[in-house]
Parts: sequence; structure tokens; C-alpha cells
Amino acid sequence: MEQKVTAASIEKKSLIGQRVKKPDAPDKATGKTRYINDMVLPQMLIGKVLFAGRPHAKIVSMDISAAERLPGVYAVLTGKDAAGLKFGFVRDNVPLKEKVLCEHDEVAAVAAETEEIALNALSLIKVEYEDLPGVFSPEVGREASAPQLRDNFPDNKSLRFEFKHGDLAAAEAASDFIADDVFRPHHVTHCCMGTSCAIADFDNNGKLTIWTQTQYPYNYKMDLAPALGITPGDIRVMQPPVGGAFGSKLDVYPYEPIAALLARKTGRPVKVIYSREDEFRASPTRQAAIIHMRTGCKRDGTLTFRTADVLLDNGAYTSWGPTIPVIMMRTTSGHYRVPVVDFKAQAIYTNNPYAGSFRGYGNVQTTYATAQQMDILADKLDMDPLAFHLKNAQKSGEITPQKSFLRECVLAECLETAAQATDYSRKRAAYAAERDKPGRYKKGIGLASSIHNAGGAKIHKSDGIGTILKVDDYARVTVITGASEIGQGIDAVINLIVSEELGVPLEHVTIVNNDSDIAPWDVGVHASRTTFIAGNGTRQAARKAKAQILKAAEKMLGEPADTLELRGGSVVRDRCGTPLIKLDRLLRQMHFQAVPELVMVTDYYEPNSEPEGADHISDHSAAYSHAVHIAEITVDTLTGEIKVDKITSAQDVGRVINRMGLEAQTEGGIAIGLGYALSENMQLEQGILRNPSFRDYKLVTAPEMPELEMHFIESNCAEGPYGAKGVSELPTIVIAPAIANALFNATGVRIFNPPLSPEKVARAIYEKQQSGK
Amino acid sequence: MQDIKTYMTPCSVGEAVKAMAAGGVTAFCGGTDLSPQVESGARQYTATLMNIRRIEGMGGIAEQGDSIRIGALTTVTEIRRDPLIAKVAPILAEAAEHFASDQIRNAASVGGNICNASPAGDMINPLLVLDAEVELARWQDGAVATRRVAMADFFLAPRKTVKRDDELLTAIVFKRPAADFVGYFRKSGPRPALEISTVSVGIGGRMSNGVFRDVRVAMGSVAPTPLRARNVEAALEGKPLNADTIRAAVAATSADAKPIDDVRASAWYREHLVKVFTEEVLNHVLGN
Repeated sequence: MEQKVTAASIEKKSLIGQRVKKPDAPDKATGKTRYINDMVLPQMLIGKVLFAGRPHAKIVSMDISAAERLPGVYAVLTGKDAAGLKFGFVRDNVPLKEKVLCEHDEVAAVAAETEEIALNALSLIKVEYEDLPGVFSPEVGREASAPQLRDNFPDNKSLRFEFKHGDLAAAEAASDFIADDVFRPHHVTHCCMGTSCAIADFDNNGKLTIWTQTQYPYNYKMDLAPALGITPGDIRVMQPPVGGAFGSKLDVYPYEPIAALLARKTGRPVKVIYSREDEFRASPTRQAAIIHMRTGCKRDGTLTFRTADVLLDNGAYTSWGPTIPVIMMRTTSGHYRVPVVDFKAQAIYTNNPYAGSFRGYGNVQTTYATAQQMDILADKLDMDPLAFHLKNAQKSGEITPQKSFLRECVLAECLETAAQATDYSRKRAAYAAERDKPGRYKKGIGLASSIHNAGGAKIHKSDGIGTILKVDDYARVTVITGASEIGQGIDAVINLIVSEELGVPLEHVTIVNNDSDIAPWDVGVHASRTTFIAGNGTRQAARKAKAQILKAAEKMLGEPADTLELRGGSVVRDRCGTPLIKLDRLLRQMHFQAVPELVMVTDYYEPNSEPEGADHISDHSAAYSHAVHIAEITVDTLTGEIKVDKITSAQDVGRVINRMGLEAQTEGGIAIGLGYALSENMQLEQGILRNPSFRDYKLVTAPEMPELEMHFIESNCAEGPYGAKGVSELPTIVIAPAIANALFNATGVRIFNPPLSPEKVARAIYEKQQSGK
Repeated sequence: MQDIKTYMTPCSVGEAVKAMAAGGVTAFCGGTDLSPQVESGARQYTATLMNIRRIEGMGGIAEQGDSIRIGALTTVTEIRRDPLIAKVAPILAEAAEHFASDQIRNAASVGGNICNASPAGDMINPLLVLDAEVELARWQDGAVATRRVAMADFFLAPRKTVKRDDELLTAIVFKRPAADFVGYFRKSGPRPALEISTVSVGIGGRMSNGVFRDVRVAMGSVAPTPLRARNVEAALEGKPLNADTIRAAVAATSADAKPIDDVRASAWYREHLVKVFTEEVLNHVLGN
């Protein structure tokens, strides 16, 4: 057998934990990326949606004749055209409405040659409404006297969840201290830089192709089909690059079936794209809730029980928002060792905007409550919160009352790392001592921690992923994967893993994951699962390919496969790194031999977690992870402005895969969390959004980002790829309560209804001073 | 939506105001207020869109005798970086420093910020403190006629000024402040960049031998128009600046500031901030 050994030995270099660039970064940074929003198809029409602009009303009459007559208009659809096309989590939504239940209800849609014509057509549609009294808070909505919004839901009650564990009465009796507070997490929205957009096109066989921003392309088909009265198999989902999703694209929203209905009616591709104002009004929110939480402990700091009575503002329709108790009931007490738990959550239909899923999924709201109650109890105990947290922190091998099996748990290490890095205990005591002394500016430090699933979440029967991997004659690797890329960085992770396993350069890997007719099944991007699930799937597929290649090498080189490795684009002797044959050459020889052989492997990875079942109680994730954030702030006690000086995070990441991606995910998560904590707020008045613009809805921007110090704690998860755990959501979850605890440390003021806006803080401090406390 | 029939780019004030005399002209410079207002439907373009950016003699900052003249087309960035402004009217540079974002500062003109007549206009506040006048030009009897209006008399209501539809604001003029003039500006907002003032307070006057004279106090976002706070001015005028005077000035703010609740802040918070900023700015004057 021919052997050309000219190069020096190739050393083993692992990419795991290195810094790898996102492959799409150069195109995105230079403006070359064509987002879905930029796409134009031949003959494409523009679809525009008429929103009701009122929260609750009967449609008395609608006249679309003038709009239909306008030159350039190809279709005008109303609720009559969508009657019975029910979709949504509990099938309570239709693409176009015959009755108005919230401000952004879609009552008509137009397809026209241009956006301008479509907008003109909308202005020609005459609708006569009869306004009805509305329900704008869940507390009012559940009263018998409240208007009933739906026939089949007495007292406007939507979904309900309950979980009980242990003897509550005994635990209460055994408690020396009880914290008892009501928290009111607010409405915020995702603010994707790319506004909602879908392009739909039917062929003459009735098959729909839809270009959309979805982050769950396979179940998406199942959810979209009933909104169109077709079968999921007749839908092809295309996923062009998107400008953000963050959970907002984990459901079907009315603009998507509307685009398809307009396309079917006109026989032409139709693009529906939202303006920024449409986006604020009509895209999903983070679920607003009222959380009545009680936590008990003994004098020595041992936690005894926790109860949570949660009222959710369902909004007008049921998307993923009201299902967040699935996670809330885990994270309410899955976090520290809480032996007795009583959790109940009730969602109430209102005429407010409705919530979808959003990074942190319920745990943002829960942790806002739990992490503050830990702080409150520590003060009642007169105990350093660090010691209180450590006393109750769970350890590896424990199983929570909700059956989460904490295989590798490093919560204590996260707590100690963050506390040491910030000199937390000393500073907290020093700042508290300064609190009531004169001085306009006060410093504070606050600690918060949480738990989240970090190995997927088996909310369906399967939480797996399919992968197809091929290596061509030039040793270029194509990974055809169900894993969607929505900016989170799975592309870089897949490239890194393929490169690690097959010894090819990162840039020799191509990912195909944008066409549901090609790529195999995946649950979707959610639950911090993609690096864990798709990482494992990619690694398994790459290892199958490697085994095939090394077996062929054994035959050709006459050296045992288990002594060979793939490194630096060559087959090498594993022990000394001596290159034996270039990989591309070997692949061509495999191809062009007597019995030709191509490297094409398939893989299906299913994590070792348990399906949730009807009560949602199971070991539903293959891994769980903890994070601790410590916020250091300066408060202007007169203006109420909080300046976040520094965030120190310590997070169990399992193992660092792509350090650059991990840092970016953490930074992005913190930015979302800071906005939630400090400034973002959908100002709803009688169901109407008063600030549908970036002028009055305040995102955290680059100049406000504080100094970040990130500590990645490596617990080496046995099931994770190379030991990694999912990382995305925790940074968003823990930030707001860390700042709230720091605010209390600085000023003695605690805010139960975020955001901690300057006005709210100034007023609370002013009122505290007036009352002389 | 009104269709724009004509787009014109006059090179001289005469050419511009002659066209404006015929009516139906929307003057456009940076467009940082106008474009979003049209986009949101709050206002409409008229038949003629006039880009005034290229009019000669309407930009630049210059000394004219004992006055400073700022061309209406001068961008906020130019004001922020101008050495003359930094020397004679740092309060204006300070306000420019806190004006929106870099992108908006590069496009927005000082004239546009004034004509937009927002109670939150950040260039207006320091110009009120400097007792500036605006120069308005119109076409009259076959020639350009100009008049001057004091900034303090210019604003009538939100988005309404004494400027006639056929008039073009060409420049802002103010007397070179005396050597002992001190002035400071403070605005609030929950974040440093891209902020629209929740409230702003600007205070200027001559400080000699511990006595504050020729005091001018301007407030933004506390009334339908940017305003001169005459009661606060009276509390300060000719008084030695000390803790008692400052206390009296702070107390007087409630007579001047009549804010409302809106999406950005409550009336309570605005009144509170006006007091905090008045005290802060006066302490700053005292400290320097």
C-alpha cells in the first residue's frame, strides 16, 4: 500500500474549551447575511394585517369592498375566511378573528403588489365595533362578577397546575421564621432585532412551503397545519437566517397562517412582515404573574417548606406562556433542599396581550421570588446569606421532590466562587451598616442563585435529535441536523465537535439545518438543550464516521484501527502522531475501490431523561445546572437610578465547549436579565400598549452594560457532550433578584414588582424616609 | 398618506423662503424627529419636501460682535465639538453631550430640535439659559425679510411655535456670556444613551462675590413647552448663593413646574426630579 510520510508528527490538540468564531459572524458583521426580512421571491405579494386596536369588542359589521377594489390588491381576508381554523396550545386561537379579545387581534388581512398599496387597502376597510367591558388583571378576571371572555371557561379559568409534597402543616409548625411576600413580575417582550416575518407559497399540488423564523421546525408543522386545514406532511419549513428568537418563535402566531391563507387565495408567494410597532403590539410577551410565596426555616437556617400560589395573566389566548408552571413548580423548590412543597398555579384569561415562551421560561419569575426570600430569611435569621445558602445547598446525588436527579451538582462551589471573587460577605455587612447614614449615593451587593434544566426537557415523548453526516472525497464534512441556529451558536459548536472528532479544519464543515424536507427531526431550540442534545448527536455521528474511516484505513494501511487517529487532516498513529495518509486521499481511495464506499452516517440521539407525563413530575432533563450571580450596584437615592457596577457570575457549565460562544451567551443572557430588572416594561393600560417603540420601551444598550466577571464551573456531566451542560437560560434568570437584593442591601428598600425603574426606586426610598423607618 | 409631489434642494435662504411663501412645504434637515413622526402617522409630509441641508450660510458657529451666531443647520455633534462653544457656552456643549446617540447627534440639527418644539428638546434648555433669540426668515415684497424672537417667547404648545408656516428658522443668536457667567445642565433618564429627558434643568447666571445675578433657569418636560422658571429665578436673583437660598429656590420649583403623568414618568417623579436637579445644579454652581 502506498504511503507518503513527509510531514512531521501531528500532535494531539483538543479544541474543547477553546475560542471558536461563529461561522456566520463575518457575513453578519459586514451586512452580507440575507435575513428572512430581506428575502424577495418572484411574483411575491406583500401581506398586511389589520389589528383591532381595542381590547374587547364585537365586530358588528365589516366592509371590505373598497379595499378589494383598490388596484394592486389581490386578496382581502376576514374572520369568515378563517372560521374553524383553530390552532394554539389549547386550540383557542384562529388566524383571523370574528370577535375581538385583545388589542392586536387580527381582524382582516390584505395581499397587494406593494406595502404601500396594502397599507392603503387596510385604511379602506370599514369595521364597526361594539366595545365590551374587559378584563385586565387576573385578580379581577377570576371573580364571578367579571365579564366572561369565553363560553367554556367559567371564571375565566384557563390552565391549572398543582404540586404537593410532604406535610405542610407540620412543616409550618416546625418553622421559626417565615417569609411571606407577593411578587408581581411584569410583561416584557423579546425585542428581536428582526421583526416577525413569514413568506408562504403553495404549489399546485397543495403543498405549502413556508419561510419562517421558527425555532422548532418539526413540531411547528403539526401546530401550523390545523390553522390551515391541511396535514403537517404537506408543509415544508424553510429557515433563513433570523434576527433573534429567544423563545418567541417556539409557537405558531397568527401572521404565519395569515401569510399562508393569503398565498392560497392569490396563488402567489405572500410575505407578511411586521413593523416595529406591530412587533411590540403583536408578538408574544414574557408571562406576567402574581406570586404569593411563603418560605419557612428553623432558627439554625434549615429550610422547612415553601408554598407558592401563582396567578398567571393568561392574556386572550393560550400560547406557551401559561404553561410556565411546568418549570415554575420545579424551580420553586428544586433549588435548595426544601423538604415540603405546596405549589399551585392558575392562569386566568384576560384581554391583555398573551405570553409565549421566553428565555428563562417561568424561572425568571420564580427566581425573582425565591432568591429574594432567601435574602429576606437570612436577615430574619441574622445570618450571612452565603452561609444560609450553603447550609441548604443541594449536593450531587440528591433527588428533588419534583424528581429531578442532581447527578453532578456544584451549587456550593458556584456560591463559594462568586462570594470569594466579590468579597461578598464583608461588603454586604459593610454596606448594610452604611445604609441609614447620610449620603446620596449608596452601594449595595446582592446574591441570587437558581437551578435550571441543562440537558433538555422531555416535555414530549422524545427529546432527541436526528443527525446525518457525510464526508466527501475532499474531506469536507456536511452535517445535516435538526438543530436550528437562531443566533445561539450551535453552528460553531457543531463545527468544533466535528473538527475535534475527525481532525478536519473548522472551516471544512458545512451545516445544513434550514429545510425540513432535508434535515431530520429535532424538538427545537428551547430549554437550554441544543448544545447538549445536538452536541451529543453530532459527536455520535462523527464517531460513527470515524470508525468507518479508520476501518478502511486499517484495511489499506495494514495497521490496526484502534492504533490510528484522525488529526490535522490525516490518518496518524495515535501514540506518536506520525501521519500515514492524508484523509482526502484515503476517502477517494475508499470511493474508487472495487467495492466503492462513501462515508454517510445517520444517528439518532435520545437523552436518558424521563417524559414528563400528565403531572409534569419526572426526571425530565438529562442534566441540571446551577448559577450564582452577585450584583454590585450604586444607587442614587434621590433620582432612584441604579448603576450596575459589576456582575460576577459562577455557573455550572458542565464543561466549556466553545469558550467564545459561552461568554457571548452569558453576556447576552445578562443583558436580557438587566433589561428585565431595570428598564423593560410593557406599559399596558386597559389592554392597550402605551409604549410600542424603542423610544419608550427601554432596552439595555451597550453603554449600560456593567463589567462582567464570569466563572465557568466544570462539573463534567457524564451524559453531556465532553461533559458539557446547557447554559443559555440561567444568566437571564438570576440577574434581577441579585440586583433587587443589592438594592435592599444599599437602601433597605425592596421592590416586589419589577422593573426596578428609577421612579419606583426613588419613590420607595422617599416613602421610607417620610415614614421615618 | 400624502404623496410628496416635489423634492427640492435650495442653495440659498432666498430660494427656500420664496418656495415656502407658495405654501405646502415641509422643511427637512436631519429628519431625526420628522421621519419617525411621519412613519408613526403623527404628522404628514406636504406636497413639497425641501431638503434645507445645502443652503449656504445656514451652518457654522461664529462670533459676531458681542454675539454668538449658530446656523440652524449646525448639527448637535458640531456643537458638542466646537471650541468656541466649549469656551463661551459650555452649558450648550454639555447638553449636546447628553443628546440622544452618536448617530442622531451626527444628523440632527439645532434648528430642527428647536422647531420640533418638544418640551423635552435638549438643545432648547441651555439656549433658554443663554437667553438666545432665533432668527426667522420669510419672503416678503420680493426679498428676504427676517425677524428675531426670544426663545422664551417662541414656544406656544407641544409642537407649536410662533414661527409661521412660511418662515424658516435660519439661526440662533445669543450674547456672549460675561466672564463671570456660570451655567450647568442636568437631565435624567433611566439610561445614558438614546434617552429622551424625563426632566431637564438648566441654570445660568453671573456669580460674583458669592452673589448670583442675571439668573436664568430653564426646565424641560415639566410643562407643555420648555419654559423659563421665573419663580425659581426670582428666588435666586441678587441673592447670596447659600444653603438658605438654594432651599428657597428648590421650594419655588413647584410654582414653575406643572408636569403631567405620561408614559415616561409620573408628575410626582418629575416634580421630585426638578427639585433634586435644581439643588444639584445650584450646589454645583456654589462648589465652583
